[in-house]
Amino acid sequence: MDYRAQIGIRFITRRKGSLIAASLAVAIAILVVQVNSVIFQGLYNAIVRDQINYRYGHVYITRNEDYITKSDFMLINWLERIPWVQAAAPRLDSVAQINSTVNGQLIHDYNVQVTGIDPNYDERASTLYQTVGSGQYVSFRNSIVLGAMVDRDLGYPQVGDSVKLKFIDQFGNNVLRRFTIVGITQTAGSQGVDSGVIIDIDTLREILNRPHETGSILVRLNDPTKADDVKQLFLSAFPSNDDKFKAQTIEESAETTLSGFRSGIALINLVGYFGMMSSAFAVVTIQMMQVSSKTRDIGVMRAIGAKRKDVLLVFIFQGMVIGAIGAGLGTVMGVGYTEYAKETHMTFQGSLALEVQYNWMGIIQTDIMAFILAIIASIYPAFKATKLEPVEAMRFA
Amino acid sequence: MPDNVLEVHNAEKIYGEGETAVTALQNITFTVKKGEFILIVGSSGSGKSTLLNMIGLLDRPTQGSILVDGVDTSTLDDNHLSSFRNSKLGFIFQFSNLLSDLTVLENVLLPRKIQGTVDGAAQEARTLLKTVGLESQMHKFANKISGGQAQRVAITRALINKPAIVLADEPTGNLDSISAETTVHLLKSLNRKLNQTFIIVTHDRPQFGEVDKIVTIKDGRIVEGELETSLR
Ligand SMILES: Nc1ncnc2c1ncn2[C@@H]1O[C@H](COP(=O)(O)OP(=O)(O)OP(=O)(O)O)[C@@H](O)[C@H]1O
Ligand SMILES: [Mg+2]
Repeated sequence: MDYRAQIGIRFITRRKGSLIAASLAVAIAILVVQVNSVIFQGLYNAIVRDQINYRYGHVYITRNEDYITKSDFMLINWLERIPWVQAAAPRLDSVAQINSTVNGQLIHDYNVQVTGIDPNYDERASTLYQTVGSGQYVSFRNSIVLGAMVDRDLGYPQVGDSVKLKFIDQFGNNVLRRFTIVGITQTAGSQGVDSGVIIDIDTLREILNRPHETGSILVRLNDPTKADDVKQLFLSAFPSNDDKFKAQTIEESAETTLSGFRSGIALINLVGYFGMMSSAFAVVTIQMMQVSSKTRDIGVMRAIGAKRKDVLLVFIFQGMVIGAIGAGLGTVMGVGYTEYAKETHMTFQGSLALEVQYNWMGIIQTDIMAFILAIIASIYPAFKATKLEPVEAMRFA
Repeated sequence: MPDNVLEVHNAEKIYGEGETAVTALQNITFTVKKGEFILIVGSSGSGKSTLLNMIGLLDRPTQGSILVDGVDTSTLDDNHLSSFRNSKLGFIFQFSNLLSDLTVLENVLLPRKIQGTVDGAAQEARTLLKTVGLESQMHKFANKISGGQAQRVAITRALINKPAIVLADEPTGNLDSISAETTVHLLKSLNRKLNQTFIIVTHDRPQFGEVDKIVTIKDGRIVEGELETSLR
């Protein structure tokens, strides 16, 4: 082995205290970045996951500022012939004033989001039905599923109770309907329709006087990487100007929800990298201590012929050892935390369960950065060491 | 091969500048022939270490020239001085000669590694360590052997590159009398067996018995008359 590497490695590995302190500083910085990534990237992924599951599917088809007038049955059949498509389902959204009578008291004039779903398709393309905690999903024409917040605001009507909804149809007429509550839906982090209601799509079409019309079609894929292909296939199959179809991948459809979150993540990462900088200062301090405790050894090395450059390399190698052990330790701790978060489906304060994924590219990047930073942090102390004159270095016992 | 392994001409060393300047050495002229065993003696603060450091090219004289093995060292830059020290000079200090994080063998091999001539070095190091009676200690870390053993390792390391001169600053200064005696005996026998030149600074002149030359320093000057003292 190169003697400068050998001496550098010995200097630091035979100083357990310094080695542990310096590599822990590096490791903890890596851990902080990792934990940030697990939590915030996990939260981000969880939101994407729930937006896919409850609202948009992998590909979300709408018509520019209008309702889809083509037969949803035909479109879904067409889509489901694509091998990557698992299922597709129509949705129709509207708004209504809701009221209910609880214990003889009327609670009314409360505006809610109404989602119309097709019981024949929805359960295959969306997992919204699984969010119904008590009761069941929409199954017949007058059934309604209340979001948990709506249920709360209405004074907790129960399954079997009825609510009245007042709609305005497409011609401006008021339409009043009574529905029977069949279920209450609630989702972690309110990513579902906790503040809305779900009814049968055909009922809603009839109420709004929009027979055969559809608001959107959400398409679930068995291979999510093919979202762009499916989107392009669809758009080229239905290119007509009359159709004015719009197809969006989840990144596009959920963009407004996600963009704010992304800048938050960028900020958090910045904080993590500042943590790395401060670990670099710890490495500088420990390396300075190493240099001053090795003054005599440096003098001896210089006396017997080592050049300044060789002394520099000794301490750079020492920095490499610190960087490598720190990166290794940090990765082990970070991966341990990631595994723990993944296995326990970590949540925060009853919010949605993190969608934890191993980001090996990110881990490797952080490791390389920490390693390089440990070396950079060693440059100044190493340079100081080269400035020691052999006589001066020899003077003190 | 030049006759003289060392020529010091009119060397002077002044520390500091102006009013605080200290003249540590002045008017130093002497020569050393190959194979000689030289002592530098003098009272504390007389300038012995200063002189040895200049001969050892660890420090430069303020004036004058020092020729080692025929080479005028004043023309060498820092890197060349390092290489020159590595191949032409061997060093033995009073204490802490060895790198405590290396083993005895690794310490002995270090000058060869710095030189980049490691082929066969391990075998030579073993042979030398055997000569000084430390073959069994060679895989111990340098801080796990006694002071006397450490000095013998330092001697071995000083010899591994077959230098023109071995310099020692009070090599026995830190040892008990038995170890000191062993060390002196070893140095003198190496001088005879290998025809190795030694220049040794000491407080304890009698300890060394007969030598080729004694350089006596007083207040930074060579004391005339005693220069030629030869007890051999
Ligand atoms: N770096 C320095 N700066 C200023 N003065 C110095 C320096 N090094 C040595 N001196 C001075 O030079 C003189 C000679 O010092 P030197 O160390 O050579 O003495 P010495 O003969 O080796 O003494 P000792 O026997 O105590 O080791 C002393 O007066 C000392 O104070
Ligand atoms: Mg001295």
